[in-house]
Amino acid sequence: MKPRKVLVVDDSALMHRIYDVMLRDQSVVHAHDGREALESIAQHTDVDLMLLDINMPEMNGFEVLDRLREGGQLANLQVVVVTTEGGEEEARRGLRAGAAAYLTKPFRNEQIRDAIAQLPERATPP
Amino acid sequence: MNDGEAKAPSSPEAGGRAGDALLTELRDTLERAARLVHALGANLGEPAPGLVGDDRAAELERRLSAAEADVSELADRLVESEHQVGRLMNLYVATYQLHAMLDPQVVRTAIADIAINLLGARRFVLLLQREEGGGYEIALREGLRPEVDALWAGEVYSGGDPLVDETLAEGGLRFGPTSGSAILAAVPLKMQDEVFGALVVLELLEHKGKLRSDDKDLLDLLSAHAASALLAARLFAAKDRKLKTLESLIRLARGE
Repeated sequence: MKPRKVLVVDDSALMHRIYDVMLRDQSVVHAHDGREALESIAQHTDVDLMLLDINMPEMNGFEVLDRLREGGQLANLQVVVVTTEGGEEEARRGLRAGAAAYLTKPFRNEQIRDAIAQLPERATPP
Repeated sequence: MNDGEAKAPSSPEAGGRAGDALLTELRDTLERAARLVHALGANLGEPAPGLVGDDRAAELERRLSAAEADVSELADRLVESEHQVGRLMNLYVATYQLHAMLDPQVVRTAIADIAINLLGARRFVLLLQREEGGGYEIALREGLRPEVDALWAGEVYSGGDPLVDETLAEGGLRFGPTSGSAILAAVPLKMQDEVFGALVVLELLEHKGKLRSDDKDLLDLLSAHAASALLAARLFAAKDRKLKTLESLIRLARGE
């Protein structure tokens, strides 16, 4: 899968810059907490991939996933959770909430690339 | 990397040298990959003239096996080179973030970001030489547990952990735990061979497990760049305060 636009949601400036370099041939938009992420999704309707941190101020990643699922927005959006929370319970919770993949930090950059490549294709919305 | 010690590079250019070494390694890998591609092309060529029947089949089979082995090695090399590129990229971004702003709080946040997101530290403290008085200010603490971290509970660290004390005194990067110290790593923050503080890693994220050889580059980078970034930010903040005071005095003198 090659996403058209990627939304990076993380409260770390370092991670935003890493994603910027890693995804330099993609269109990337940024949000620094959960609330900002939901606003970005509403504003950028062509975002089809979200890289989502869990521990964030304002609204955490699980709450973001719940809101997206309730709003039916996960139909056109794939979410890869990327977090320092490495427990199995957290991973299960993320996947149950609608995430397509769950990765832990620190990660090898190729893990992100592989996770994106392995996401199933979705029908392009009209 | 557990018991024992590893000396951190002695000059502030250590982060740059680590990057140079990685670049050389990456260049070697790519050159080797190019040679493998060339050998692969040769193996896929026509069999020697004059071979017939079983000999021809055996020759083709030998070449196929050689080509498969080359492809497998090439794939391994490409994976390794991708990994090296990723490591270089992270080192570049970490260096950039450390020097991006001249606000001491932002620099401290950048150090914490690197420790958590790139190193996988769960519990750590940042010690910085106090501008006045002895000892080291505990400038940053993350994930501390009061029941085991009494040594790091106050505002000032005046000694007590042998590995940390050795690092602050001699400037070497040290790894634990040892019989006298429960810490995982003490990373000296150095500028021009002078130690200005240390990053003390007390615990890693559970899924991280232990420090790996890859992490050494990152620790060297912190050792070489964190102190200069912090000191530059401190100086800038101090000068900025003085400048604002002088501007106020001038405005006052002019009756504005």
